[in-house]
Amino acid sequence: MIATSSNQSDSARLVTPAMLVLWLVLATVPLWIARVGLYPYLGIEILIWSLYALAFNLVLGTAGLPSFGHGAYFGIGAYAFGLCQFNVVANLWVCLMAAFVVAGLAGALVALFISHRRGIYYAFMTIAFGQIFWTLAIKSHKITGGEDGLLKIARLPADFGVTSFDLADNVAFYYFVLIVFALAVIGLWRLVHSPYGRVIAAIKQSETRAAHLGYHVWLYKVSIFTLSAAVSGFAGGLFAMAQLAAFPDVMSLHQSGYVVMMTLVGGGLVSFWGPVVGVFLFLIARDVIGALTNAWMLYFGLLFIAVVLFRPEGVAGAVTAMFEKQSAIRRQGHSAMRLLFGGGRWR
Amino acid sequence: MKKREISRRGVLKGSLMASALAGTGSFFGPWQENRVWAQGAAKPIKLGLTCDASGQYGNSGQDDLRGIQMAIDEINAKGGVLGRKVTWITADTETTPATGSRVAERFITREDCTILIGALHSGVANAITQVASKYGVIYMNTNSSAPSEAGENCSRVKFVWDGNGTNFSKASVKNAVDSIGKNWMLLTNDYVWGHTTSAATKAQVEGAGGKIIDNLLVPQNTRDFTAYLLKIQQAKPDVVATAIGGDDIKALREQVAQLKLEGKPAWINNQQDWPDVWGAPNSLFGVFGTTWYHKLALPGVAEFVKKWQATNKEGSIPVPGNVSYNGYMSTRELLKAIERAGSTNNVKIIKELENLKVSATDRMQHFDAYMDPVTHQMQQTIYLARRNTKPADNTDLYEIISWTEPKVAADSDATAKCKLIPYEQVPTVDS
Amino acid sequence: MFDLLPHILNGLTLGLLFALIALGFMLIVGLMEQINLAHGSLFALGAYFAMQLMGSRPPFPAELAKAWLALPLGWRYAATLILAPAAVGIVGIAIEFCMRRTYGKDPLYGLLLTFGAAMVIEEMIRLTWGTRDYVLQVPQAVSGGFLFQDLIWSTYRFYAAGIAVAIIGLVWLLIEKTSFGATVKAGAHDSEIVRALGINLTRLRLLVFVFGTMLAAIAGIIVAPIWGIRPHMGVDAVIPAFLVIVLGGVGSFWGAVIAGLLVGLSVGLTGAYASEWSLLSMYVLLVGVVTVRARGLWGKKSVLEA
Repeated sequence: MIATSSNQSDSARLVTPAMLVLWLVLATVPLWIARVGLYPYLGIEILIWSLYALAFNLVLGTAGLPSFGHGAYFGIGAYAFGLCQFNVVANLWVCLMAAFVVAGLAGALVALFISHRRGIYYAFMTIAFGQIFWTLAIKSHKITGGEDGLLKIARLPADFGVTSFDLADNVAFYYFVLIVFALAVIGLWRLVHSPYGRVIAAIKQSETRAAHLGYHVWLYKVSIFTLSAAVSGFAGGLFAMAQLAAFPDVMSLHQSGYVVMMTLVGGGLVSFWGPVVGVFLFLIARDVIGALTNAWMLYFGLLFIAVVLFRPEGVAGAVTAMFEKQSAIRRQGHSAMRLLFGGGRWR
Repeated sequence: MKKREISRRGVLKGSLMASALAGTGSFFGPWQENRVWAQGAAKPIKLGLTCDASGQYGNSGQDDLRGIQMAIDEINAKGGVLGRKVTWITADTETTPATGSRVAERFITREDCTILIGALHSGVANAITQVASKYGVIYMNTNSSAPSEAGENCSRVKFVWDGNGTNFSKASVKNAVDSIGKNWMLLTNDYVWGHTTSAATKAQVEGAGGKIIDNLLVPQNTRDFTAYLLKIQQAKPDVVATAIGGDDIKALREQVAQLKLEGKPAWINNQQDWPDVWGAPNSLFGVFGTTWYHKLALPGVAEFVKKWQATNKEGSIPVPGNVSYNGYMSTRELLKAIERAGSTNNVKIIKELENLKVSATDRMQHFDAYMDPVTHQMQQTIYLARRNTKPADNTDLYEIISWTEPKVAADSDATAKCKLIPYEQVPTVDS
Repeated sequence: MFDLLPHILNGLTLGLLFALIALGFMLIVGLMEQINLAHGSLFALGAYFAMQLMGSRPPFPAELAKAWLALPLGWRYAATLILAPAAVGIVGIAIEFCMRRTYGKDPLYGLLLTFGAAMVIEEMIRLTWGTRDYVLQVPQAVSGGFLFQDLIWSTYRFYAAGIAVAIIGLVWLLIEKTSFGATVKAGAHDSEIVRALGINLTRLRLLVFVFGTMLAAIAGIIVAPIWGIRPHMGVDAVIPAFLVIVLGGVGSFWGAVIAGLLVGLSVGLTGAYASEWSLLSMYVLLVGVVTVRARGLWGKKSVLEA
């Protein structure tokens, strides 16, 4: 599985050392999470949001497209998962696929409208569509349950034909999400470093230049947005399982703003792992500070301002910069920091 | 006891899988839970208070919390429950269901809370209910008044303490059709609570021989009602019945008051929550419902208000209202039920609460109240009120104009919609 | 037709309010090419400051407070219309000082900085004034209702629409007809020329930003008696403001005003004839227009579309 040649660069690998380290650490989480004052469900939520933020960063970080209404696709995925379970077939794989496909379709529809637009117009179109989906979710209460939520969604067993795993328990479900997360990370990593991903990155640098090179910019913009929406929806399907329900609130502008914040604080603009770092920071800070004071948004807002002012490239960017300063002196060595953060530099 | 075993087995299974994945078996150590066990029988009973501090219901959530805390303090001053102290923890549920789920998970699995209390928003209440019923943890829905809470979304572990839209419609509509007029118009917030409440009103109006001439659906987050107010003036109904909630009703109140439209047509509003009213007392209009008022001329009310004020000197609301009252009542009755059950076993407490009867004196209401064992909704006196033209002091905003017996206001359709799971299927919880 | 007329009138007054809410946002977008997401929070702050000044416990030393309370309500209101925005302007200065570090970078950073500022301000409001609602007192002369075409209309609403017209007019005069306006406009488009002319660009930007925040605060004071005052109100304002700017097109003054009126009309008319779609109608309007016209109604080329 792992690329054997040691001098091959990370971007060519299927699985990078950073991924391995991260997965191994994550796999031990249920062993100690209670001892550091947290709880398994938080681990589930962090993994799901990490996946969602990684998907979102395909649009924001990789393609440089400001999408501020991404919660819509996360929410649509959650509803699709629930509705599939109730109305089509109660099968985990089918319903997760449904979440992926339906959210992808919604994303594709929106992408058709917005992909000729740029900057502020692009950004606000995504907000407008986000608000439209959110309102429709509340309005269509015969289907979605409205503000009461689509309830009683089950954590369907992971059925492999020969054997089947029950995911009702939080720890079991955590491992399921971790495996899915690991596979998705491989997929996204390969995508970003594929020829397709490089074109997307080129479009981020300059749409005009990419167009002059003969790339169909519009098509690339539509496809990356669709893909991002689909993976976000997939994460939404997992979230419906975690919560045992789907609610319209994750689709609101507020919640869409959170994923932007997490991605940027972590350093999504400069690092593949930025969104994951941001989600960890955001959700753990919310839990820890939230237990001490109800005004946690104040502290997080201040932190956010500080990051934008002093470390606009985010935590991952700061760590990478630190490493580069060091390596300029030493020019060698594979520190853990390099493994975790350095591997994903876009440029 | 059983609950802990389950979760410990869960952790064990998890760690086996983890060690298989990680190739390390050396992480097995003394469980944190063991230390908790060692404290023995006198360990406190811990309640998780799921109250909004921000978002649309942040204000009401904190008022709910004040009532809950008061009931806990009272019982602790008397030596606790079953000789054990009652402790609590709270966190902001942000009027957001996803946050409600997470906080509930945290309270149950990390903080070892065996009972959860507190709710305003039905989505948040449902999110918490889902988690609570997964673990078998009892949940007191103090203040979420959606009819669906005690209907299709009812649960064996959840008890609903507020009167709902149907209760208030039943208390108000028939009289109004007879005494004011037959042409009604509905102003309905376009979401579940609005629709179910308006549907109940419609049924009552038509049952009493009136007719609905129009139903204006108002999107959530509407801040400007002028278009609707013009439409109402053009249609000239006798009565307008509103099912507008949250911040929207506050904006509507401001605008109706400014136009002085409160006379003609007559307005019938659903329940108005005291924390919302207190911010803008001059905008109260029409007839509206409540389950309690701090100047009810009943024994015990004045003492209760004094006690509440003594513990909440710094608060932004000077007197307890219906929200704080519900928080207080539900918590007090819960703690009493534990005492009567003689056990903290969840099913024993649930059975105790299902047979709950509270005398009018104890409720500080006009009639005896009882818990409906089929829907888990508290059946209580429903009051109708209007703006007080002769207030005794600056908090005396309501003039109570009627009180309706619980049986008359009961939501008779809920029974058919609510299906509770059998006791055997409730995971056992004990503390 | 007579049935329709009141709703058109209502839509227009509502539209003027939307234009007023968007005005400060527009100035900062148009002249500085920065998106100020704290606009809504500054709007809320304006309303809170005004409420504090108009309330029974003004934030003054005892002597002054006494003298202040002795003034007639109308005088106090007029003074509040200046004092509260001035106080909010100070907050604006603080934000602009932070924002300087983002000039010349991707405009995304300015947007994010102000988003953080919005979070902080909203939370500060909650800590200072609590979660409860407040009402802003207004003089008797502009409250109540009047009869027109057999319908009762809100006096305050027409007063508010009138103020909106006046402020929009004044701002237009300031930008188009004064030397200050000319410098500001030049600064936005070609900062090197402005610098070459010896004009202090740093100060110019500060002035524009503070002016924009003060306009946000004024809008907050004007709208507060209709919407009510609560911590959440900033979010209710910033989204329509943003929408109006995008609909009108970045850099177009009249584009924003017309967009405000269109949004008001669409919300007002759908409110009357398809009430459940009234809030959604503004988003549909935006999607419709921006799908056809890449820069909204009359947008100009801007770094905000890079």
